[in-house]
Amino acid sequence: MSVSAARPALRRAVRCSNNTVKYSTAKSGLLSSPASLSRSFSSTVSSHSPKTPNSSSIPEYARPDPSRPTHFGFETVTEAEKRERVAGVFTSVAESYDRMNDLMSFGWHRIWKDHFVASLNPGFSPLTSGPDPRAPQHILDIAGGTGDIAFRMLHTAHNINRNPDVRVTISDINPAMLSVGKQRSQSLPATQQAVLNFVEANAEDLTKTRPLHSDPSAATISIPDQSVDLYTVAFGIRNFSNIPAALREAYRVLKPGGVFACLEFSKVDKHPLFNAVYKRWSFGAIPLIGQLVAGDRDSYQYLVESIERFPSQEEFRDMIVDAGFVVGGQGYEDLTGGVAAIHKGMKPRA
Amino acid sequence: MRPATTTLSRRAATAAITATRPSQAQLLSGAAIKTTTTAPKSRYITSLSRPRQMQQIQQTSSIQSRPLRKYHSYEHPPPPGPFSPTEEAILSAAYKHVPEHGFSLESLALGAREAGYLDISTTILPEGAFSLIRYHLVKQREALAARTEALFRVPENQKHVSISEKVELLTWERLQGNAQVIARWQEALAIMAQPSYIPSSLKELAKLADEIYFLAGDVSVDPSWYSKRASLSTTYAAAELFMTNDHSPDFRDTREFLRRRLGEASELGSAASAIREWIGFTATAGVNVLRSKGVRI
Ligand SMILES: C[S@@+](CC[C@H](N)C(=O)[O-])C[C@H]1O[C@@H](n2cnc3c(N)ncnc32)[C@H](O)[C@@H]1O
Repeated sequence: MSVSAARPALRRAVRCSNNTVKYSTAKSGLLSSPASLSRSFSSTVSSHSPKTPNSSSIPEYARPDPSRPTHFGFETVTEAEKRERVAGVFTSVAESYDRMNDLMSFGWHRIWKDHFVASLNPGFSPLTSGPDPRAPQHILDIAGGTGDIAFRMLHTAHNINRNPDVRVTISDINPAMLSVGKQRSQSLPATQQAVLNFVEANAEDLTKTRPLHSDPSAATISIPDQSVDLYTVAFGIRNFSNIPAALREAYRVLKPGGVFACLEFSKVDKHPLFNAVYKRWSFGAIPLIGQLVAGDRDSYQYLVESIERFPSQEEFRDMIVDAGFVVGGQGYEDLTGGVAAIHKGMKPRA
Repeated sequence: MRPATTTLSRRAATAAITATRPSQAQLLSGAAIKTTTTAPKSRYITSLSRPRQMQQIQQTSSIQSRPLRKYHSYEHPPPPGPFSPTEEAILSAAYKHVPEHGFSLESLALGAREAGYLDISTTILPEGAFSLIRYHLVKQREALAARTEALFRVPENQKHVSISEKVELLTWERLQGNAQVIARWQEALAIMAQPSYIPSSLKELAKLADEIYFLAGDVSVDPSWYSKRASLSTTYAAAELFMTNDHSPDFRDTREFLRRRLGEASELGSAASAIREWIGFTATAGVNVLRSKGVRI
């Protein structure tokens, strides 16, 4: 992979975001450690926010609120602060995130991603007699960062299922991650590059997106209601400050019959011994390795804690159902004993 | 493990457990164990080998901490169906495409479209094309109950129908349920023989055997409870496979085959060998289908 062109920009981004992390960490004095597991910090910022009159049907928790307390790893910070800090983490690890995923998944994440994409079989659309009934498919890859999922989707749709009528929108909150993805996409066939679209967006509010590197003062674009066949989010959702809000947006943009699919680190509680070993590994070794390999202990510490914080398979499935989706079977599939899991939900017909 | 029951019924239940234990052990030490690594063992045992009568005994006890799954409970409404309304909508529409497109993703997608969903909607079915096979198995099994009355009606001047005759009638009735999709059934068997689906397939087979004995009115609880069902499973599976190559009118040869096998079955050996035989049959079918598709095995 070649990211040399993006490197100077990234370096700058990494440097300034590292400052952000350190600054906010120092400011609030919240250096976290595994020992602070149960500590919870109250926010000094008022959590009251004026309600917009037309959004009163939306539950309070599902409305993005920059001042509401949320979690950053095991720390409690405001949603706005978390967003800033998450951006910092991923900027600082944009280039080494592959290595990070390798560490957390024992190298399995590539196989999980392959399986995730194969199980969604994008572009599959049997031909029937008469006029070609294949409807174009629009895939929205949220927190798509470096394009890992999107490129696999395109490969399956175009090369395996031979359906060129599939386009992918890669969306991420972090332009540095998107830049890496854009850079990588240059090596794809032109037909695939032509149907790729990179947009900056916060997954919790897809009404305000902007094309990558567009003028920050330019008007934002909304992803229309019922415009997406498949919404994917891989190793992204646990970073969101407000998961119910993100699920609500997923529901909004999906067509009836459209599918929400999520690949995320999960819980190995069903296997107590493995669980104990895995926790030891993740809490003990990974931040240290992060320190040694990337010189960035904080980011790796955050990674480990955010995984621990994320709801169990069943809890997350229930959140998906609460957002209005229907699930098949138990609603999720464990990978490698639950180190990761795939959740799927379908938006029912109106 | 079990809640305290009245001494009497507990003793009866224990007797039933003891009675079935040898065959259970044989089963779990036999060929089946290797193929069930993905299925929780307890679920497997529940479905395969807990005699209905034992469940009824447990039902009569007044204290019960954990609800047990019951196949045929006279006192409780049936549990919610195995398919959600959405799954039912997609699968029932897809099922109509099986004769033409097989138990395949094509059929699923065509069904989804007809039910007003998208091609992508089918990906929420956790077992892919196997969902459609399971749909067939469940629906065909469930349809048997409604047909028993007509099946067992005896002409005025004849003696009553014996249990083994009823078993034969029901098994034949169930086999005829495959006639519609017979050209696709070897393919289906190949899918069922894939390691990840063997536990589900075996479970469905066990439920079918249990259903047939129940509908035939067999109420005996004795050490043969398990082996009877196991050997019926094997016989059924063999007949099912036989039928995929049967070109005689109205599958007459299959019926003959079934009669012969049911006659021999009473002398058949242990449960473990029965299950091993079933896997043998199904795997052979699978290998044959793959070979016919050009895979070199
Ligand atoms: C670990 S990366 C995953 C990248 C890619 N999907 C993969 O599987 O390799 C997590 C991504 O989530 C993004 N992210 C975090 N919070 C977000 C938010 N609120 N909205 C959109 N993206 C977000 C980060 O910028 C980062 O690129």
